[in-house]
Amino acid sequence: MRLGVLTGGGDCPGLNAVIRAVVRRGIRAHGMEFVGIQDGWRGLLDDATQPLGIAETTGILPRGGTILGSSGANPYRFEDGPAKVVATLERHGLDGLVAIGGEGTLGAAARLAEEGLKVVGVPKTIDNDVGGTDVTVGFHTAVQVATDAIDRLHSTAESHDRVMLVEVMGRNAGWIAVYAGMAGGADAILIPEQPFDLDAGCDHLRHRHASRSSFSIVVVAEGAVPKEGTLELPEPPVDENGFPRLGGVAYQLAPEIEKRTGFQTRVTILGHVQRGGSPVAFDRVLGTRFGIAAADLAAAGGWGRMVARKAQDIGDVTLAEAVAQRNLLPPELYREAEVFFG
Amino acid sequence: MRIGILTGGGDVPGLNASIKAATNRAVGDGHEVVGIRRGWAGLLELDPGDPETVRTHTVALDPDVVRTIDRTGGTILHTSRTNPAKVRASDEPDFLKAGRVDDEARDHTPHVMKVLDHLGIDALIPIGGDDTLSFALRLHDEGVPVVAVPKTMDNDVHGTDYCIGFSTAVTRTVIFIHQLRTSAGSHERLAVVEVFGRYSGETSLVSAYLSGMDRAIISEVPFDVEKLATFLMDDKRKNPSRYAMTTISEGAHFVGGEMVMGGNADAYGHRKLGGIGAQTGEALKEITGEGIIYQQIGYLMRSGQPDSLDLMVAINYAVMAADLLLEGTHGRLVALRNGSYVNVPLEVVRQGVKRADVDALYDVDEYRPKIRHVDGKPMFLY
Repeated sequence: MRLGVLTGGGDCPGLNAVIRAVVRRGIRAHGMEFVGIQDGWRGLLDDATQPLGIAETTGILPRGGTILGSSGANPYRFEDGPAKVVATLERHGLDGLVAIGGEGTLGAAARLAEEGLKVVGVPKTIDNDVGGTDVTVGFHTAVQVATDAIDRLHSTAESHDRVMLVEVMGRNAGWIAVYAGMAGGADAILIPEQPFDLDAGCDHLRHRHASRSSFSIVVVAEGAVPKEGTLELPEPPVDENGFPRLGGVAYQLAPEIEKRTGFQTRVTILGHVQRGGSPVAFDRVLGTRFGIAAADLAAAGGWGRMVARKAQDIGDVTLAEAVAQRNLLPPELYREAEVFFG
Repeated sequence: MRIGILTGGGDVPGLNASIKAATNRAVGDGHEVVGIRRGWAGLLELDPGDPETVRTHTVALDPDVVRTIDRTGGTILHTSRTNPAKVRASDEPDFLKAGRVDDEARDHTPHVMKVLDHLGIDALIPIGGDDTLSFALRLHDEGVPVVAVPKTMDNDVHGTDYCIGFSTAVTRTVIFIHQLRTSAGSHERLAVVEVFGRYSGETSLVSAYLSGMDRAIISEVPFDVEKLATFLMDDKRKNPSRYAMTTISEGAHFVGGEMVMGGNADAYGHRKLGGIGAQTGEALKEITGEGIIYQQIGYLMRSGQPDSLDLMVAINYAVMAADLLLEGTHGRLVALRNGSYVNVPLEVVRQGVKRADVDALYDVDEYRPKIRHVDGKPMFLY
């Protein structure tokens, strides 16, 4: 079987781990061949490809970004886009496609799959907002970067007795904000899913400053919105794909918080550093396991499907169960690790 | 002897290491150390007639109190930008207002002298940048024994080659630049990385030099954004990963333009109306049609733990300051010159301004660091 591999949408740490695992597993377990598609769907629209084998995927595991390049190009926004995609796949003798991406890339993949394209998906986005899976590649690295930043910003906020607004990515979902905020001990967290009431939030800050502490850290997701009727914020501009260009809500909130509390308020926007750099161990392992699963899924003909992981819930067990037997590494997981031995 | 120690201006990593080292040095010799909270504001807002303000504005420092503080950034004493020689009504404590109605800046130096006397402070170690140290000099003129320690991540205190905080600021910036490379490369974009550095471009210049940036725009040298666009497009073409990056000082300005100060400007508009980095990004996008990544490093340059060089300098400066006071020398600024620890007259801080050495370190035509003839230069190149 010959497969194309593409990465679409915003780059994020762990993409190279997926690419490496798909290729190794595909070649070693299924005798597959691979073609690298450059810059997401654009590579299929423009027929831009690169060789992709063991040699090309050696040494890329710890590297951020994607060796294949990426773009936000969507085949359905180009004239005859879907037809061009099919034509390019045929030209290269490809039997199927592994599409690694977020909602945009996977949205196009889902539509193409409905029209008969043989494609399997791998979810990646630092925002962690792809449905059907509890976690996406890149999320945990972004959380680590944001947590490190929050840890550090404590010293500046405290030294100056200030409120520090830390704006993190998260267009529609507050995953990064809540995880990094919980990990970093944020004093308030504003997210898109829970419209905020700034007056109530400022009451919290005032109370905190009056009773315990002279500074606060507030984590704001870029897509956070005020409760209707509580605060007027201008509409963000839209980009070429019609998505609002977010980023900067913290700059709007800072003067409002200063006005309400009298506390000096400063802004740090983490921006692209959240998705750059080397993936944390979790994303390397997740990307690797997703990659193995995607190669296996393609080999089994599971077209139109996406690999996913379910592991969100905290439950409870009896103490007796906990001590009855040690939790040892499942043999299947060791076999996944073995894919890369030798 | 009873020594007062305070930190003023923006926080930098290493202040706590200085506080600890000075405390241990002085207490070890049988002296007392008093930490003054929130910089000069601690002395301005302290009312000798109100013991509560003494409690809230000072803290007794001894080896137990400072034992673990050097492990974190910032300053346990907190900081402020207050200058007691120029106090506006809004910053004046009520007990000093005495019925005033105007908002003229007033000089409360006599009050500060009274407070020092009340606290029984014989000598002061102020740690700060230009502004903080200008009032240190004022107290020196009034006869207060002072040995000052220079800190600013911009590295722009006149009279010393090195200020506490600079190394960590550069270390952090280099790390973030390398992290941004993967995004810039994956999307084949032009990246503009804005760094703190209002009047001095050293953070931009040295970070660019150490991280191998394509270009560096610095506060000292006005730049032509069309020319920068041409350079970056050329850099991008030559880069096998098809991207290009430049650093830019927050205090940089276009040829013929004014310094653009960003801030809490109206937000979604801040990309256009904001700081010079955002404006440069917008201009580059318009000129080249390329995708742009604009990233401010901002507070992350000076938040958190110091790197080892800042620890080294912070500790040595503090030990030297305590040494000088204990041997009866004052009116001095501890400093690094040509790679050596020295002390110089405190007056130097107002005798000039310190800027990046453009002639020696920067190519004004190519907009990038140009460092030659390293042989014989001190470790930090200046």
